Amino acid sequence: MPAAYPLPSDLSPVTVANTASLLRIIALALISGAAIASRLFAVINFESIIHEFDPWFNYRATKVLASQGFYEFWNWFDPTAWYPLGRVVGGTIYPGLMATSGVIYNLLHALNLPVDIRNVCVLLAPGFSALTAWATYMFTKEMKDESAGLLAAAFIGIVPGYISRSVAGSYDNEAIAIFLLMFTFFAWIKALKQGSAFWGTITAVFYFYMVAAWGGYAFITNMIPLHALVLLLMGRFTGRLYVAYSSWYAIGTLSSMQVPFVGFQPVRTSEHMAALGVFGLLQIVAFGQLVRAHVSSKQFQELLLAAVISLGLIGFFGIVGLTYKGWIAPWTGRFYSLWDTGYAKKYIPIIASVSEHQPTAWPSFFMDLHFLIFLFPAGVVMCFRTLRDEHIFVIIYAVVASYFAGVMVRLMLTLTPVVCVSAAVALSSLMDTYLDPTEPSVEDDKSESSNTPSTGTSASRPATPATSKKTKKNKEKEKEKEASASAGSVLSELVSNVTSSAVAAKSATTAERGVFGMDTRLVVLLNSLGLLLFFVVHCTWVTSNAYSSPSVVLSSTSSDGGKNLIDDFREAYHWLRQNTAEDAVVMSWWDYGYQIAGMADRPTLVDNNTWNNTHIATVGKAMSSPEDIAYPILRKHDVSYVLIIFGGLIGYSGDDINKFLWMVRIAQGVWPDEIQEPNYFNRGEYRVDSEASPAMRDSLMYKMSYYRFAELFGGQQPVDRVRGQHVPVQGPTLDYLEEAYTTENWIVRIYEVKKDDVLGRDLKIANAFNQGKKRKRTKPMSRRKAIGA
Amino acid sequence: MARRWWTLPLFLVSALAPSFSLAGPAFENTAIVRTIELGGSLVHVSTTYAVKALEPGQTTYQIALSKVERAKTSWLEAKVKGQTTPLKLSEDESSAEYLLSISLPKALAVNGTLNLVLETMQTHATHPFPEQAAQNEPQLLKYETDLFTISPYTTLVQRTKIKSIAPNVISYTTPHDVDSFVRDGSVTRSGGTITYGPYHDIQTDTDFVAKHQQSVSVHYSFDYPVIEVETLRRTAEISHWGSNLNIEDKAHLHNAGPTLKGHFSRLEYQSQNFQRKQAPHILSDFTLHLPPGVTNAYFYDQNGNVSTSHLRTAPSVAKGSKAVQYSVLQLRPRYPVLGGWNYSYTIGFDTPLQDSVSYDAKDGVYMVGVPVMTPIPGTVVNDAEVKIILPEGATNVKFVSPFPEISNSMSTHISYLDTAGRPAVTFTYKDLTYKHTGTIYVSYQVPLSAHLKKAVSVSAAFFSLFAFAFMARRVNLNLHKK
Repeated sequence: MPAAYPLPSDLSPVTVANTASLLRIIALALISGAAIASRLFAVINFESIIHEFDPWFNYRATKVLASQGFYEFWNWFDPTAWYPLGRVVGGTIYPGLMATSGVIYNLLHALNLPVDIRNVCVLLAPGFSALTAWATYMFTKEMKDESAGLLAAAFIGIVPGYISRSVAGSYDNEAIAIFLLMFTFFAWIKALKQGSAFWGTITAVFYFYMVAAWGGYAFITNMIPLHALVLLLMGRFTGRLYVAYSSWYAIGTLSSMQVPFVGFQPVRTSEHMAALGVFGLLQIVAFGQLVRAHVSSKQFQELLLAAVISLGLIGFFGIVGLTYKGWIAPWTGRFYSLWDTGYAKKYIPIIASVSEHQPTAWPSFFMDLHFLIFLFPAGVVMCFRTLRDEHIFVIIYAVVASYFAGVMVRLMLTLTPVVCVSAAVALSSLMDTYLDPTEPSVEDDKSESSNTPSTGTSASRPATPATSKKTKKNKEKEKEKEASASAGSVLSELVSNVTSSAVAAKSATTAERGVFGMDTRLVVLLNSLGLLLFFVVHCTWVTSNAYSSPSVVLSSTSSDGGKNLIDDFREAYHWLRQNTAEDAVVMSWWDYGYQIAGMADRPTLVDNNTWNNTHIATVGKAMSSPEDIAYPILRKHDVSYVLIIFGGLIGYSGDDINKFLWMVRIAQGVWPDEIQEPNYFNRGEYRVDSEASPAMRDSLMYKMSYYRFAELFGGQQPVDRVRGQHVPVQGPTLDYLEEAYTTENWIVRIYEVKKDDVLGRDLKIANAFNQGKKRKRTKPMSRRKAIGA
Repeated sequence: MARRWWTLPLFLVSALAPSFSLAGPAFENTAIVRTIELGGSLVHVSTTYAVKALEPGQTTYQIALSKVERAKTSWLEAKVKGQTTPLKLSEDESSAEYLLSISLPKALAVNGTLNLVLETMQTHATHPFPEQAAQNEPQLLKYETDLFTISPYTTLVQRTKIKSIAPNVISYTTPHDVDSFVRDGSVTRSGGTITYGPYHDIQTDTDFVAKHQQSVSVHYSFDYPVIEVETLRRTAEISHWGSNLNIEDKAHLHNAGPTLKGHFSRLEYQSQNFQRKQAPHILSDFTLHLPPGVTNAYFYDQNGNVSTSHLRTAPSVAKGSKAVQYSVLQLRPRYPVLGGWNYSYTIGFDTPLQDSVSYDAKDGVYMVGVPVMTPIPGTVVNDAEVKIILPEGATNVKFVSPFPEISNSMSTHISYLDTAGRPAVTFTYKDLTYKHTGTIYVSYQVPLSAHLKKAVSVSAAFFSLFAFAFMARRVNLNLHKK
């Protein structure tokens, strides 16, 4: 028996199976550990803190859930958000995330483990990433085998594309959604393979969980019907498909309608129509099958034609008619922006203003996926080679997700799992091929194997097997067969229990192919190992450097290399929380709404739940108008404090002046007569220095940002470090607002809106009077003297 | 307010009359010197009584405090001058007046003399005046007190010194109607010290108090922030398994100085810092002295960790050694606390258990000492609650507070993996100052079974989990055998 390296042959199959099972468990445990550990950079470098913006709302909602119970949370009306409108929180969120943390929290407390709710929230995403690794393992196992599954689990565990949304503290819906996505898909594949209503129900249950957890559930809602439809069109309709799909759709849709935020959408919006249509189609096809079993084939063909045409027409006009009558909502704007990337910028600037809704830049594919992006097409091709039903699913998933990932940065997240799966399939096929000790035997294989070490160093190129192939073209067929039959080593069977048959079958037909000698194997395997190592290094580096910043706390490196924390946000929020009236309304741009509500506990006008465009535009208008126009707006909305972010002193580029144009654009969308974007440019340039346009210089935002900024430079030319421009030495003055608090690095500046003047004067006049009074004492006196003289 | 000051002596008179007659002429004060050291939240008063006995065998000397003064006083201690052991005090609260009875160390013979010192700590005795100050203005406070030190006995000469740390005294009251007691001048000022008296031959009886007792006030500038800790919740958790005493303080700090007029200007604050002329009413950082051997110190508030603090640890000292060592924790709040502003925070730290717990092997009794508080210099703690959590299963709990507490209670606290919960003792206090840095002692017993309870329950839980996994893996519930 020719083998490249010896394998132990005295192991019983039971021992091997048990050992393999144990090793898999250990490997999965280690992968889970690595997945969790690599997400803890944020906690170690900073602290256990909720990150960014949306997580602060989720955290706040979870605190309500944990402290007041589920029913209070369900009926929670938050009067402090969207002041004065308020927000019905229970009906406008996906509660899955909060419910999950709430359950974990209560479970831990029931076990007398008094873990802080904050820590539950912070560590939820890493915990679920371990579950995602497991679900991906199960999914890939269905595609190929356990070894591919382990590779896929390892990939998804540490790939930056997923870590970017699931580091510790990134307490967002995506934290649990990717696990649910993968597990739903796994259950769907399982249901489809077995034709099992049980697994179909499990798919539906996890689909329900997904609906309750993330708006991206629409991806599943359309992926599964698409898969079913493609199978149908490929003539692969089976009873199994019918059972799996029907059980999933019926239970899944009914349960998804229990989520208040979703409600009747599954039967009333266009996004969900595909699932309904395929459900109907499957019923028709199944009925057709039934009819075909009872009538002759000629009759059936006529019947089919008539039925297809009439049903197709009825269905089409039915949907069009319902849409027209308003029973079915047409596509939403967010949906259109998936097809036309310019759509949002034109019609819904608020969606376009979010950085994660921008189209993906090419480097970020490599940044987020590293070498998986190269293996990904190979894996998809491998799926084509063994085109079972589940492989079609991966192919569709790959095509759809690739498109969406190109349209929106954020949807990179949905691409990542399929990339990991395909890459794992490709890499594990490669490994299987090159780890398989079976030599394509020739009659002089003994001399060949003795030759190999001597030529090994020089012939370490892929060309070598090809050249050697030619020499022993003949007789290979029989030998190959013999070899594959006699490769009875248990371990090799285990390593490649699925593909070895494929490889064997393949090598039986193309007998001259095969891998010869240790050197070829080592070259390929070491290369793969090298790639994997680089992948790990890359993932670690990207995770620690790019994705582990809470963005609530900034870090900078001081001149001696030490780490310096810039904690201005929390400084300002804490100040607001402790030193202002509890009902003081704070106005800020919507980005900071959730943070103010979460950390400062004060009412806000607008927040990151951007449901009311007009309200946001009102804030935009107030920020971009001159003081005397903005003041009535502020007073009408009971605004006590205005909070802005200013990075000009230390060079923090994410500040409000840089976001200002979006405020202008959004305000312009509602008040095109009063706010015009071009007015804020000076000859096409966006400037804040002495060349700034008058509209810019008079705007509230500009004034608040640079108020007394110049004085900091003690008479020297003040520099805005973000824009790199010299701002005027004579800074702006404020009549209707006064500075209330400025943080240590001037990042957050809070202004108090002055109350009406006690004498009923306009505040501008009152201010002028207050300042002018001093001047009047001296100036008119001298004039009088001059006249007298 | 002023009216009350004037009417008060009338109350005193009626109340004091019987006790005066009772005490009678047993003693005579040859001199009383009262020294008041003005501060922000705290005012330290030390009164020296030069006592001469008029009757033989006297063992109890009485000191009188007006009711208002007693209400302000949160701590008092009497000593023989030059000695360190405090004398036994008993308070008589029955009358409208406070009489403190001091047990003298030995009976005095006729004409025997003794110098007694009464030290008191007054809290909330000052108030900002004016009540508002802008960021760059000085901090001015006002303190009011009675002119005459009252006593049940005749006083030959008495004087009151009021000392301000800064020499900048804005104004002080000049007493009226005191010519009959005065030989040189009723009040003199030298720098930051204002001396009332000496006044001769004072008999603070009914008539005198009604006629001559008056309130004097000093208006002075104070160069440190007036800080009050409105609530302090201290939790001390003892862990035998971890060999660890964890102490956690949740504090709510308030700047009780003049409230900020207008708004805070960062620019001004930064330039003040740059010129090292920080406004007196701004608290930008403070220092705490923690016990030696501190580990895992933390400082956070509602929004998470506050990264601006420094800890210099000192190693544990051997038990019984006289060496005084502290770990120094320098805290900087998130923002400078200006007048009227609040700041709440939590600090905590671990200390090795053997530093504060001793074990008596004979009775099997543990004795733990937990400091009542970690004082912030110059502050008063308005409400304090100290909760000491003993190990699970501790029995026979006895405790003693270093000074009288307002209340104490026992409760059960459930923490990590507890089955029955841990007994906890809670003490509440009011108006604590740096003088109240005593140690609460708690003694308890822990049987061996209680020690093992947690280990057994956790291992039982894990065992059942594994047993379940073991069963589940080997039971096949499939209907269709493959």
